[in-house]
Amino acid sequence: MTVHQIELTGINKYYGAYHALRDIDLKIRKGAFVALVGPSGCGKSTLLRSLAGLETISSGDLVIAGAKMNGVPPRKRDLAMVFQSYALYPHMTVEQNLTYSLRIRGIDKAEAKRKAEEVAATTGLSHLLGRYPRELSGGQRQRVAMSRAIIRNPKAFLFDEPLSNLDAALRVHMRKEIRALHDRLKATSVYVTHDQIEAMTMADHVVVMRQGIIEQQGAPLDLYDRPVNKFVAGFIGSPAMNFVPASSGSDGKSLLLEFDEPQTIPFMKPVKAGQPLLVGIRPEHFELAGDADAMLRLPVGAVETTGASSYITTATQPELVIVLNNRAAIRSGEVIGLCFDPSHLHLFDQQTEIRLG
Amino acid sequence: MRRLLLSISDGRGFDIALVSVPLTFLFMMAGLPLVYNIVMSFQEVDMFSLGTFFRPFVGLKNYATLFSMPETWPILKNTALFVSASIAGQFIIGFGLALFFWTNFPGASWLRGLFLVSWVMPGLVVGAIWNWILSGDFGVLNYLLRESGLITGNIFWRSDPSFSLWAVVIANIWLGISFNMILLSVGLSTIPQDLYEAAELDGANVFQRFFTITLPMMRSTIGAIISLGLIFTLQQFDLFAAITAGGPNNSSNVAQYWAWDLSFRQYDFAQGATISVIMIVFVMIASVVYVRSTRHEVRG
Repeated sequence: MTVHQIELTGINKYYGAYHALRDIDLKIRKGAFVALVGPSGCGKSTLLRSLAGLETISSGDLVIAGAKMNGVPPRKRDLAMVFQSYALYPHMTVEQNLTYSLRIRGIDKAEAKRKAEEVAATTGLSHLLGRYPRELSGGQRQRVAMSRAIIRNPKAFLFDEPLSNLDAALRVHMRKEIRALHDRLKATSVYVTHDQIEAMTMADHVVVMRQGIIEQQGAPLDLYDRPVNKFVAGFIGSPAMNFVPASSGSDGKSLLLEFDEPQTIPFMKPVKAGQPLLVGIRPEHFELAGDADAMLRLPVGAVETTGASSYITTATQPELVIVLNNRAAIRSGEVIGLCFDPSHLHLFDQQTEIRLG
Repeated sequence: MRRLLLSISDGRGFDIALVSVPLTFLFMMAGLPLVYNIVMSFQEVDMFSLGTFFRPFVGLKNYATLFSMPETWPILKNTALFVSASIAGQFIIGFGLALFFWTNFPGASWLRGLFLVSWVMPGLVVGAIWNWILSGDFGVLNYLLRESGLITGNIFWRSDPSFSLWAVVIANIWLGISFNMILLSVGLSTIPQDLYEAAELDGANVFQRFFTITLPMMRSTIGAIISLGLIFTLQQFDLFAAITAGGPNNSSNVAQYWAWDLSFRQYDFAQGATISVIMIVFVMIASVVYVRSTRHEVRG
C-alpha cells in the first residue's frame, strides 16, 4: 500500500490552445491537508476539478488510493467536494441534502437519517435539519456543505475556495473549524484558495501555482523562509516582501541597494561581484536602530498605526514597507535608522528572479 | 381643490390615475365581453334581440338544453382528449428537444431559434400544410407509414371518424412543440451547473440526476407550461377550421369550435355563450394553477 492518497504525475490540461496545467507533479500523503494557492487564473481550481473528475486531463497520470483514475467518472472516484457557492440542493431540506449521497447509494432511510443526525450533531446543525437552504445564513450553508461531504466518509475532501463568500470574522472562525474537523476525521484534504493566509494557517503542505505551473511546494514555513523565486517570495506573507534592485560591492562583503539615493549594507555571503541582484526583505524583519547600529537610513513617507503595530512606508524609490510591532513615535519626513538580521535577506537574480544561495 | 391637484400630480392620486388606465382598458376590452357572455348564457337570445342587453331571463334553461343535446357529451369528450393528448405530446417532445439542445453542441442555440418558425406561423397556414401531409391519397404521412410497413392501406386522416380528431392533434402538437421547448430550455438554463457537479460527486448517474435535480428544480416551469398549454389548446380554433371543420359528423368537433359554430353559423347565440361559460371555468382553473406555480419558484 502506498502512503500517498493522491498522486499526480505529469498532468497537463489544455483548453483548445490554452495550456491550463503544465506538467503538474504532486503527491499527497494520506491524512495531509494540502492547500493549492495562487492568483486567479493560475490553474488551482482546474487542478482541483481535474482531481474530482469534473475536468478531463489531457495527459499524465492521476492515482487516488492506489487506483488509476484517469477517465473515471466523478461519481466513481469517491471524493467529496465543498463548492465555493456551496451548491446545496435548493429543493431539499438540510437533512435531505445531507443524506442525498446515501440515498443514491441505496442506504436505507432509517440508517441515513441516523447518520445525518450524527453528523449534524458534530457540526451544530441539529436544530436546522428541517430547514431549506434559502432559510439559512451564509455560515450555516457553509456548514451544511461540509456536513454533506463528511457524511460520505470519502477518500479525500476537496475544498474550492469555501470561505470566500463569508465575512472576515466568520472566515477566521471557519478556518479553525475546518482544520479541527480535518484533524478529527484524519481525512485527506485538498484546499484551493487565493488567500495565502488561509493556505499558511490551515495546511501542512502548501502548493503555490502560477500560470498552470507549480512554482513551489512545501511546508508553510519553508515557503516563508526560503521562497525559490521572487513570485513565491512576494506571494507568501502579508504585507508582501520588499524588493530592491542591488549589486554586490567590489569587496564582496557588501551590497549596494539601488534606491534613488543608493545605500551600502554589509553582507557576508559570497556573491559574484557586479551581478545584478534583487534583494528581498520582509516588512516585519526590520527594527529601528540608533545611529550606531543603523544599517540603513531612510526618509519616512507615510505612517499608519493600527494600535498593535505601525506600518511605515519610506519616501524612497522603490519604496519599502516596514512593520513595527509597537507604537513608534515617527513622523512623515523624518529620517530613521533601520537594522535587520542579515540572514533574513533573500537574494534573487534580477533577470531570472530565481533565488540565489 | 389645490390638494386634489397636488395629489394627482404627486401622491396617491397619481398612483390611482396610473393604475386606472390599464384597468379601464382591461375592463372595456376583456371584462365587458366576458360579463356580456355570461349574462347571455342566462338569457333567451335570437336574431331580433341581438342588439339589446335586456333580454328575457331564462335561468339555467340554456344549460339544461345544452346537456340534453345528444352531441354534447361526445364533443366534451373530444375536447378533453384533444387537450390532454396535445399537451402530453407537446410537453414530452418539447422537453426531449430542450434536453437535446441543452447538451450545447455546436450550433445548438441557432438551431433552437429556428424551431420557433413553427410557432410564429398562423394556424391556418399550418392547417393547410398539414392538410397536404395528412391527405389520404397522396399525403406524405401515409407514404411514410406505408413504406415503413406500419400500415397496409391508406388512412383517410381527415374523413375517417376514428382518425379525424387525431389529425388535428398531430398538427397541434407540431405547432406547440417549439413553444414548450423554448420555455423548458429557459427553465433548464436557470438550474445552476454546480448542482449537477455536486450530485455527480455524490454518486448520482445521469438518470438519478435527472429525477432528483432536473425535474424537481423544473417544477414551477412545468406547472406553468402545462397550464399555459391548457389555455392555448382550449383556444385552438384555426386548425379545426382548416383541417376538419369539426367533422365528419362531429367526430373531431371540440367545445371551442362548436361554440363558434352554434353562434355564428346556426345563430344560436345563447347556446354558444353557454359553452363558452363552461370553457371559461376550465381556463380560470388553469390560470390559477399558472399564477400559483410561477409564484412558488424555487430559488437557491
